[in-house]
Amino acid sequence: MNLLRPVMLSLCLLLTVQGCSDPQPASSPSEPSSPTAGVDPVEAAAPPLPTHWTNEDLSGMDAGPVSPSMLVAGNRVANRWIQYGGDYANHRHSPITRLTPEAVPNLRVAWAFPTGTLGQFEVSPVVYDGVMYVTSSYNRLFALAATTGELIWRYDHAQPDDLRICCGPINRGVAISGDSVLMATLDARLLAFHRKTGQLLWDTTIADYRAGFSTTSAPLIVKNLAIIGVAGGEYGVRGFFDAYDINDGQRVWRHYTLPAAGQPGVETWSGDSYLRGGSPAWTTGAYDPETDTLYWTTGNPAPDWNGDARMGDNLFSNSLIALNPDTGERLWHFQFTPHDVWDYDGNSHIFLVDITYQGRAVKAVVQANRNGFFYILDRSNGEFLSASSYLEQVNWASIDDKGRPEVDAAAYPTEEPSHRVCPGNIGGTNGAWSGAYSPDLKTVFVSSVEACQLFQKGISVYIEGNSFMGGAPQPSDTVSGRAYGNLSAIDVQTGAVKWRYRDDQPMMAGTLSTAGGVVFSGNLNGYALALDAADGKLLWKFKMGGGVRSQPIAYEIDGTAYVAIGSGSWASFETFTGGPANIPEGGHLFVFAIP
Amino acid sequence: MPLVAVVVLLTACGDSGPADRMLQQPEDLKRGRNLFVGSCMGYCHSMQDAKKDIPYLFDCEWLHGGSDDQIFTTITNGVEGTKMLGVGNKLPEGSTDTWRLVAFLKSERRPC
Repeated sequence: MNLLRPVMLSLCLLLTVQGCSDPQPASSPSEPSSPTAGVDPVEAAAPPLPTHWTNEDLSGMDAGPVSPSMLVAGNRVANRWIQYGGDYANHRHSPITRLTPEAVPNLRVAWAFPTGTLGQFEVSPVVYDGVMYVTSSYNRLFALAATTGELIWRYDHAQPDDLRICCGPINRGVAISGDSVLMATLDARLLAFHRKTGQLLWDTTIADYRAGFSTTSAPLIVKNLAIIGVAGGEYGVRGFFDAYDINDGQRVWRHYTLPAAGQPGVETWSGDSYLRGGSPAWTTGAYDPETDTLYWTTGNPAPDWNGDARMGDNLFSNSLIALNPDTGERLWHFQFTPHDVWDYDGNSHIFLVDITYQGRAVKAVVQANRNGFFYILDRSNGEFLSASSYLEQVNWASIDDKGRPEVDAAAYPTEEPSHRVCPGNIGGTNGAWSGAYSPDLKTVFVSSVEACQLFQKGISVYIEGNSFMGGAPQPSDTVSGRAYGNLSAIDVQTGAVKWRYRDDQPMMAGTLSTAGGVVFSGNLNGYALALDAADGKLLWKFKMGGGVRSQPIAYEIDGTAYVAIGSGSWASFETFTGGPANIPEGGHLFVFAIP
Repeated sequence: MPLVAVVVLLTACGDSGPADRMLQQPEDLKRGRNLFVGSCMGYCHSMQDAKKDIPYLFDCEWLHGGSDDQIFTTITNGVEGTKMLGVGNKLPEGSTDTWRLVAFLKSERRPC
């Protein structure tokens, strides 16, 4: 692949930032306007900063459009990583065999790239046709040469100042289909770009951000649809996820996660609380092509920590939902945490796995839930099979044989809390970071926070677009230094924890598994980590600088294996879990290589 | 003591309105606290100075004025260009609840 011309072009475009020549912003009518739009150029104090650099040199990008069959194959082809979850089953398991315990100490930095933004850098990059697509906080999107890091095109999304984001300016990555690269934005829009040129193809508004909506996750492509859900559980939105036609951005269906009046489930909300009951859908789902079934998960009911005005189970919050992907029609659901008052969103990473459970073959869906339990369900019908704690500290509930929590009465929020409740509101694990699964070992690998909290209840008042949380978790362990983290290996057939790698900080980064038997992740002290998948032994670490909140990926081009991991945390959020507040922010992508 | 803090302190000391009267009423302070916990804390304002990007409200640095009236106005009208919307008169007991919030903030204020 000849990347010379895009590199030359990108250098030229970078020079335009320095004012050497005119920038070449895209000419799409939906391009964000500059601060001086409508002002006589002579009167403007400074030229507008460019926000979009496109690329007209298409040489070297010859693989053709991303087809549905490629998406079904996922990352079984080592030279690409084209989905957030690696494949539709969300395994995040690279087929690269040379990334072995013996080889990873030889990893060296191949290239690095700055995002220029603060806030959590949570991306899971996409790699296709020799190009890596990377999103940063505040929705910058970079197309980079996957072997050298040279800039091919770039788009900086202009954001309003009054975004309704509870927990940081996050984006976790793009989706790719055909010749389109799709990014959802903090102001609740879905944008499509030409993968080669960076030209904006369409721009669809998902919802009015001023009502409390935002989008942070990578869309999931299923056939001709891009599926994306909203955040907003802390603003009392009516949660939903949508399907958009990837060709023109037109909405095909919307699935509300809260029932409307007269619909099944509305009886699980007292009064009219279902109207502002949150239950967002802010993570990426999974898809089973064999049965043509879509799986999506939902978050907390609103308000978070005071459930007095929403008595009942609050369906379909904190649930796994199976759907017809063509229509958005619900097939079945399973609710992990009914009547949640701890912010235990049910939308951490789900894995579609084929297992043997108690002697019988089961097509299962498994999840390490934010509430501290690892669930095994039959994905054909939602039947509950088992739940077991994957944390070292869980005391809010036990799970009965139907999968329903039996809650310790002392765990409910009060005005004067004194009882340490475990896990804290961030989890456990959390939808903000991914997990990985090794089919060879029948094991999932998840990072988690070990911290307990006091849950305080207050008076909640709903005002559209304003925060609607009803209380607050008090950081007991986080201020006392008792918080720490684990990366745990969990047997998907039993839920048993095989091993734990312990870190002195909460672990809040995604994981990557390789066919060579290595697990990659990172920690809040800024280290990229490689562990032996068999026993959790630390094999390699590299100090990247900022705390790691990203989702590692791997790919192989021209005989060289690469591992990409982003560094860059957001102290404002990490301190919530007990993470370090003294490490400066700033996103930086590192790509390591083994020839 | 920085000049700004002195000005803020002097301004604050000049108050003797509803918030000051509520400072003497435990039930008002308790409700103000519950309003703060339920509607202002969570992922937003903290009672610990945790270096968040959202202002810490228990020191002497006020971005939009630290007098009782100014705090009342900020809570009522919100802050333009941020995600903090004004509560208007939508708290359950209207402006009385807003004053309870002001009183609670004063009651927890650190010495300047």
